Amino acid sequence: MSGVELFQIWLVAFATLALFSFMYKDNPFYRVAEHVFTGLSAGYYIGLTWDTIIVTQLWNPMMSGRWWLFIPGILSLLMFTRLSPRFSWVSRTSLAFVMGVTAGGALVFQLHGLVLPQIQSTMMPLWGSEGVGTLLLTIIMVIGVISTLIYFYYSKEHKGVLGMTARVGIWFIMISFGAHFGYTVMGRVSLLIGRVQFLIEDWIGSFGQIG
Amino acid sequence: MSIWTKLETLDRRWVYLMVSIAVIVPFIIEAKFPISITPEARKLFEAVEAVPDSSNVFVVFDYYASTTAECEPMSRAAVRHFFRKDCKVITLTNIPLGGPSMSERVTREVALEYDKEYGVDFVNLGFKYGYVAVLSGMGTSIESIFPTDNSGTPLSELPLMDSVYNYDDIEFIFEVADNATAEFWVSIVNAQYGVPIGCGTTAVSAPKYYSFVQSGQFVGLLGGMKGAAEYELMMDQPDLAVRGMAVQSLVHLLIIGFVVLGNLGYFLGPRKKKRSAF
Amino acid sequence: MRTTVPIAVAFIAGMVVAVSYFFADESAIGWLRLEFLVWLIIVGGMTLALGVVSIVRVNWDAVKKRKEGWPYKVLTLVSVFAMGVPAVLPESWSPLFGRNQGSIYEWLFTYLDAPMMATMFATLAFYIASAAYRAFRARNAEATVLLITATAVMLWRVPMGEAFLNLFPGDIPYFLNTYIMAGANMAVQRGIIIGAALGAASMSLRIILGIERTYMGRG
Repeated sequence: MSGVELFQIWLVAFATLALFSFMYKDNPFYRVAEHVFTGLSAGYYIGLTWDTIIVTQLWNPMMSGRWWLFIPGILSLLMFTRLSPRFSWVSRTSLAFVMGVTAGGALVFQLHGLVLPQIQSTMMPLWGSEGVGTLLLTIIMVIGVISTLIYFYYSKEHKGVLGMTARVGIWFIMISFGAHFGYTVMGRVSLLIGRVQFLIEDWIGSFGQIG
Repeated sequence: MSIWTKLETLDRRWVYLMVSIAVIVPFIIEAKFPISITPEARKLFEAVEAVPDSSNVFVVFDYYASTTAECEPMSRAAVRHFFRKDCKVITLTNIPLGGPSMSERVTREVALEYDKEYGVDFVNLGFKYGYVAVLSGMGTSIESIFPTDNSGTPLSELPLMDSVYNYDDIEFIFEVADNATAEFWVSIVNAQYGVPIGCGTTAVSAPKYYSFVQSGQFVGLLGGMKGAAEYELMMDQPDLAVRGMAVQSLVHLLIIGFVVLGNLGYFLGPRKKKRSAF
Repeated sequence: MRTTVPIAVAFIAGMVVAVSYFFADESAIGWLRLEFLVWLIIVGGMTLALGVVSIVRVNWDAVKKRKEGWPYKVLTLVSVFAMGVPAVLPESWSPLFGRNQGSIYEWLFTYLDAPMMATMFATLAFYIASAAYRAFRARNAEATVLLITATAVMLWRVPMGEAFLNLFPGDIPYFLNTYIMAGANMAVQRGIIIGAALGAASMSLRIILGIERTYMGRG
């Protein structure tokens, strides 16, 4: 292991331990790491915006004949008027363009790509199912989907049949949220394992390389 | 003060200490248990196996560095699997913070194992802003959205991209995501262009995506580190995720222990505590 | 002027993109749609730069006024420029510049930013363990169902836990995956997906038609 590699491992270990030290209590090491992290993350966007947007998407194509790209160029600059309370209204046009294009796309793909296929897959035949297990699954699915939708339907008071169905919905939702919690625990623990794996295998493993 | 009251008022740092010990111990004392394969993970593996050799495929790195421990083993296994089949791998990301860097690093590291050449066997398109614009636009022309690769080389100078114009030239998309981008791939790319998508995602997102597996919008699903471990095992290349599973076991048991203990304290402790438990 | 122009822009942009789905890519509206999508990448992408300017302004202000913790803000500012400036300098000047492998930008991301981001999120494991101990109570029937499901799923998803579940009669791991995850859980998630997608579609229509204007802010 070269000196540079060793330095890199120790640098990562220092940053990791400095951030973990907050679990005991707030301290200057943590504050230093926290502020460096914020700065580097913001700095990352400078390089990314410069390269992937200004140079490759705007400047180069404009120079090679797509002169009309000056329009989004101006809209981009107008976005910065948000920093001035007096002129921030000017940025609305840029914002409106972003919102408009996104909404135009979303209008189609939310319905075509999510609502229709999801409803279609819920309408499974009960008769002719492959065995009792599949039939049971289909019934669970239909009841679960309908009762969940009704539980989140707040335009009418949950009374009578609506109230009863919403009650069934709560039970389904609790099962799903329980599963979510179990999975979330797993996810968070995995992230911790990743860091401890580095500290034990790479950092402590590098102790033998010193000297 | 009864033992239950003491437990209820336990300093949170003792809990943190126990979690730390539970994470460290399995690295010292190894315990091996068999890892089972879920049908969702198997479906994904089989779908990738069924992709014709030498096809053009996308591996999408839609995750932040924060979830590297869960997502990187998946993306690494996916790239390995495709390289093993001599597929042409095109990587991209919708994540601004670190996405292009991680896709570049992982793909280049795996490419070394399989002796693959940049520009011929794999290309990293990098990042562009806006899911709707990027995913919709590539349906018409990839080059309009990504005029250059991540390093600034025009796509026209990369031999691999000669045969890739839009989604019609892509056989399979392996999406590794730690956020809602997977839904955009489903609703825009799969729904409108019909490209099959397999998804590897964090444990937090996995329960939601079971719905897309049942509807056939995802060909299969990997959920969290366990999902990654399953894929590594099916690939017969156990790596980081498989090693992590032993540790995961002990911490889960500890947390279940905390839940049991907390509830015992709740039911057996003084009544006033019950009201202020949340 | 202050609201009419933005509403008109949103209407035209939204309608072009929505209607273009019914036309071929080679048509005039198909061409305009692709142009608008590229424009979105440019205009929307600039919001990232706007965020950076905002962070620099806030921190610079704190340093100038010597607000509490200002030396840390100096570190933030130094980090912003240490990362950003070498990235915009041409690679032809030095391999340390630009964004490629071997650059300062890549090095800082790989050896500082990425591990710190991973560590920040890793600390959540401690908080979730603490929450499980303090707040996860079987206080009523619904909470009990949630708790039992969570515990069973936590056991099932780890090898040691699955081995434990296999000690009991019946295939509990199969039941959990088939009837809980791909059954009840899937049904609920599907309900939420359908509801949220319908909401998003109606919100999109409101934006295109100029009914929804909250994104413009006040003034």
